[in-house]
Amino acid sequence: MNGLETRRRGTRALLWTLLTSVIVLYGFPFVYLLLTSFKTPLATNAVPPTILPPVWTTANYGTALERSGVVASFTNSVSTATISTLLSLALAVPAAYGITRFRTRAGRIFIMAALVTRMVPPVAVGVPLMSTIAFLGLTDTPTGLAIAHTTISLPLSIWLMASFFEAVPYELEEAAKVDGCSRLVALWRVILPVVSGGMAVTAIFAFLASWNEFLFALLLTSVKAQTTPIVIANFQTQFGLDWGPMTALATLYSVPVILLTLVLQRHIVAGLTLGAVKG
Amino acid sequence: MHLSDKRFAALLMVPAAAFLTAFVAWPLARLVIDSFYEISPIKGGPREFVGLANYAEIFTSESFLGAAGRTIAYTAIVVTAEFVLGLATALLFSALGQRSSVLRTVFLYPLMIAPVVAGLLWRFLLIDNSGIVNHLLFRAGLLDSPNQIGWLSDPDIVLWAVAIPDIWLTTSFMTLVLFAGLQNIPGDLLEAARLDGAKAWTMLVRIIVPLLRPVIAVALIVRGIDAAKAFDIILIQTGGGPQNASQTLSLLIYQTMIRFREPGLASAMGTVYLLAMLAVATVAVWYIWRPGVDR
Repeated sequence: MNGLETRRRGTRALLWTLLTSVIVLYGFPFVYLLLTSFKTPLATNAVPPTILPPVWTTANYGTALERSGVVASFTNSVSTATISTLLSLALAVPAAYGITRFRTRAGRIFIMAALVTRMVPPVAVGVPLMSTIAFLGLTDTPTGLAIAHTTISLPLSIWLMASFFEAVPYELEEAAKVDGCSRLVALWRVILPVVSGGMAVTAIFAFLASWNEFLFALLLTSVKAQTTPIVIANFQTQFGLDWGPMTALATLYSVPVILLTLVLQRHIVAGLTLGAVKG
Repeated sequence: MHLSDKRFAALLMVPAAAFLTAFVAWPLARLVIDSFYEISPIKGGPREFVGLANYAEIFTSESFLGAAGRTIAYTAIVVTAEFVLGLATALLFSALGQRSSVLRTVFLYPLMIAPVVAGLLWRFLLIDNSGIVNHLLFRAGLLDSPNQIGWLSDPDIVLWAVAIPDIWLTTSFMTLVLFAGLQNIPGDLLEAARLDGAKAWTMLVRIIVPLLRPVIAVALIVRGIDAAKAFDIILIQTGGGPQNASQTLSLLIYQTMIRFREPGLASAMGTVYLLAMLAVATVAVWYIWRPGVDR
């Protein structure tokens, strides 16, 4: 028994070492991005490169934020993602409820259709969608882009919400009905509070899908409604390879969502594993 | 006014269904229609019905067939690498139990990063001349010179290199899903196998992987679909080059439409791409995953 224990302790130490090195390797790229954003232009392009900045400077952040359109792009990213999240929830919550609670044929067909939508390549939808958005007069507006982003997040939102509704015991609703609530009132007053955690998870994913999206933003915005991913990408074409300010802007754009991950970690894990592990 | 349950359910689904019809189904229908026309890129310009001519052209075009092959290769590279790395880390986390939960959180972080940022970051890490990766490999003695590997400039390896950020970004997803699956395997079962003298590798291949099969299937399908759609992460690193060696279907279609201004041709490519995605994914979902089947 003792022999086994020591061997296990040895294995365990080895596993910890292994895991720690995996995490360090995995974390390095972003840490390097962060460090590069504090380097001077000279140090950024130095051969051979150094990991730590020889001189620390925040100049890149100033340069990035002073460029025209950068601050506006943050506002655009926030408003586009917010509109898209609200739209996605407003459409997905009733649809998912209709699918899971009444188990009609139409519901089964609809949830399969939503799954099929997930397989559609954005590039196939993107170009014809440009004329639909133009027809509505929403080209180069956060609302137009939010509609496009919702085509990506809505199918996922329906799937997530359907799983959350499925977990609500049917008796709860029956009780509400006995109390004389109509179906809509029962949904609003009794069921939605129970699935509010699930709605939060769905909202996080809808928000992130829009926040990080690039192709639709490239096709549907030009000046006014440009989101930050497009601005980040533009740093390389207009000014050559302007890595310093670009890494600063990429840091500013990524840090909020990384902090979000750490804070809302449990919700995110729940959302990511939900469909997969149940299936 | 009283609605039957069936009507009420349908009414709840109508808004979402109408939205998807207007903004997904209708654009796709237009894509298919456009694929039978030769279209002038000028707004309001002439369009001429050409039947299957666009299809005939793409199926004999080397760039289309090449891009299709590269899309398949790219997807295979990304999904295989993520599966192997994801399973390995999931097993590590699982072996170390609860105490690894902080590291598990740290491991999640790339999932939240925009693909554009990931692409640019890795382009910077792998860039010729001053890229840190080659310099670290050189210092570790693995390379003879820091310029030995031209990750993004050598056409022979570029498809592998552009896959790295995608793998870095979403291996966490694979780990997370497989880890959750591993938690559902009864510990008694593994303990019994261990007492019977099963080696770690045997347990993995004979017990763990077969039990995880449904979870693995879903994870592979979800990631496969996303990898086959990859666009920004490659565009930002190489723009499809050098010599089109990293040009996948998404990039080719985008460039045919925007740069070469051939909407008809791009629509035909888009239609073939769409149908292929739907066919492959439907078969995969239907035979492996079977969602909605009552369990």
